[in-house]
Amino acid sequence: MASVHLHELTKWYGKRRGIEDVTLDIADQEFMTIFGPAGAGKTTTLNLIAGIVAPNRGGIRIGGRDVDGLEPADRNVAMVFESYALYPQMTVFQNMAFPLRSPKHRTSARELEERVRRYAKMMKIDHLLQRPIQALSNGQRQRTALGRALVRQPDVFLMDEPLSHLDAKLRHSMRAELKEMRSQLGTTTVYVTHDYLEAMSLGDRIAVINLGRLQQVGTPKEIYFTPASVEVARLFGDPEINVIGARLRSKPDGLAGLQILGENIPIGVPSDVVSLLNGAETVKLGVRPSDIEIAENNGAGNFHGLVYSFEPLGTKSVLTIDASDGSRIRALIDGHRTFEVDRRIQFRIDPRSLVFFETEKEGFLAKSRLNRQEAGDG
Amino acid sequence: MHESVSFFGLVGRVSKTLLLLVYALFALFPLLWMVIMSLKPDSQMFTTTFLFSPTVENYSAVFLRSDYSHFFFNNLTVSISAVLLSLIVGVPAAYALARFQFKLKEDIAFTILSFRFAPEILVILPLFLIYQKTGLYDTYFGLIWVYQLITLPLLIWILRGYFEDISPDIEAAAQLDGYSWWQVFLKVLLPLVKPGLVAAGLLCFIFAWNAFTFPLLLSDARAQTSTVVALRFLASDTVHYGQVAAAATISALPEVILALLIQKHLVRGLSFGAVKG
Repeated sequence: MASVHLHELTKWYGKRRGIEDVTLDIADQEFMTIFGPAGAGKTTTLNLIAGIVAPNRGGIRIGGRDVDGLEPADRNVAMVFESYALYPQMTVFQNMAFPLRSPKHRTSARELEERVRRYAKMMKIDHLLQRPIQALSNGQRQRTALGRALVRQPDVFLMDEPLSHLDAKLRHSMRAELKEMRSQLGTTTVYVTHDYLEAMSLGDRIAVINLGRLQQVGTPKEIYFTPASVEVARLFGDPEINVIGARLRSKPDGLAGLQILGENIPIGVPSDVVSLLNGAETVKLGVRPSDIEIAENNGAGNFHGLVYSFEPLGTKSVLTIDASDGSRIRALIDGHRTFEVDRRIQFRIDPRSLVFFETEKEGFLAKSRLNRQEAGDG
Repeated sequence: MHESVSFFGLVGRVSKTLLLLVYALFALFPLLWMVIMSLKPDSQMFTTTFLFSPTVENYSAVFLRSDYSHFFFNNLTVSISAVLLSLIVGVPAAYALARFQFKLKEDIAFTILSFRFAPEILVILPLFLIYQKTGLYDTYFGLIWVYQLITLPLLIWILRGYFEDISPDIEAAAQLDGYSWWQVFLKVLLPLVKPGLVAAGLLCFIFAWNAFTFPLLLSDARAQTSTVVALRFLASDTVHYGQVAAAATISALPEVILALLIQKHLVRGLSFGAVKG
């Protein structure tokens, strides 16, 4: 059990940036997911914590102990690799027992046997212990790799996309199992993933990283509802968030309003949000596809568009709409309705859950409705 | 249509087997002939083919009444030492070439390989002069040293491929499991490259054991090896074909025994890509 502190951690691979100035505090027993697209520097961060690669600058503390310059073996962390990194010449039992036979963690034969069996049972591979690794399916390898990390009872778990090579169904069930497991173990965990669902469902907090830089750290809710930038907003959610250019103007009633999508339908902006916009005349609006509603009847506040594509997904459907100004809007709608392509439709945008970003830097400005509670404690 | 395919398939299988059989006979017959010759008395050497009165006279002449055994053990000593030295130097070298990025890496690898480009006869003259001057001439160490030209490139290039096949993650995993780098190397990496190690080691031994040009010109009475000495039975006055054959048969024994002992690894080792996670 230990906390992990990264301080201005920087790693360059020659001229290529791995990560730069990553400062991150992970509390004891916290489950931190590091999320980002491919090549963002997630695995580099993990390898730095494990001591597999050495940083160019910055430091790492694990459990209050400075571990810079310590060998991986001396850091008492366990890692699950994306490639599983099982020892192919050994059986499942030998793989799981390997850490307990090392000089660092030598365990008596009886306890070793007991521990391997206990964790094999937990990972539901106790019937496979004598199998060679080659005879295992991907899912079973995954469980073995997790089991090998667990038997050690390390200070920190590091997991590098452990579920990415599993098929979708298995991935979802393993995700649930991991969640169950972490509540049993309570060990500090750093979990790297490029799947935003994994990041949100598992993490106490999420560290969003892109192009080697930390973009935002926060709880799944904070990141989803108050993303630090357009970039972060785009990474979370499927279908992707709609980003719409908007112009601020005064409504007839004197309050501030937004003009968007080339239509003359001002959307009201609460005055406390306006004060957060720093007097900007234009903003970028983030609208989640689930906040767009298809209008049944003609109405004053309706936007107009053409159905560009319609994808039924079961309980929900994704509707892509060409709006009046030509921009494309994604809407997540009820799965019972069907739309033909090129049909004229009208839709409404829920004004209560808009996210406001700067036009140029695309940084977070404000959030209507939720900004007072959600952004406040972040 | 379906039957004609299977008919051709059958013909294909039969002819493949036949061709392999012909090749096997072609390859093995000289060996058989060698063993037959070694068992013939000189008087029947040219008068009989397969039916003769066998004798071990040639073997006793070679082993008991000449110093052939001395040179036989010379060859064993030199070849085994050469292979061991190659292993000690070559395994780390192959690992470094597979794992680390450093300047001139590919040039170094290519230079090592290029040791095998030139025919031995091309470099033997300067080597002979150097050996004469440095006192390496006719010493075990001199031969072991020069055999590295034969064994080292082979070993390094085979093993490099094996090390490259092992994911660096496996090494990192073992280090995280609480092992030092050396322990990782011995407990995880070496077992994984063992098939390649065995195959490359055996090939090296065969090449070293069969080396002829180097021991012929770089050694004399003290360190000479059996490959060279076997020719002595072709004396200027009489040619004892039986004794040459007996010497050659004995010479082939270590290779055959070794190959049989490690046959299992050999097949796996030469069919590359044996390391799969």
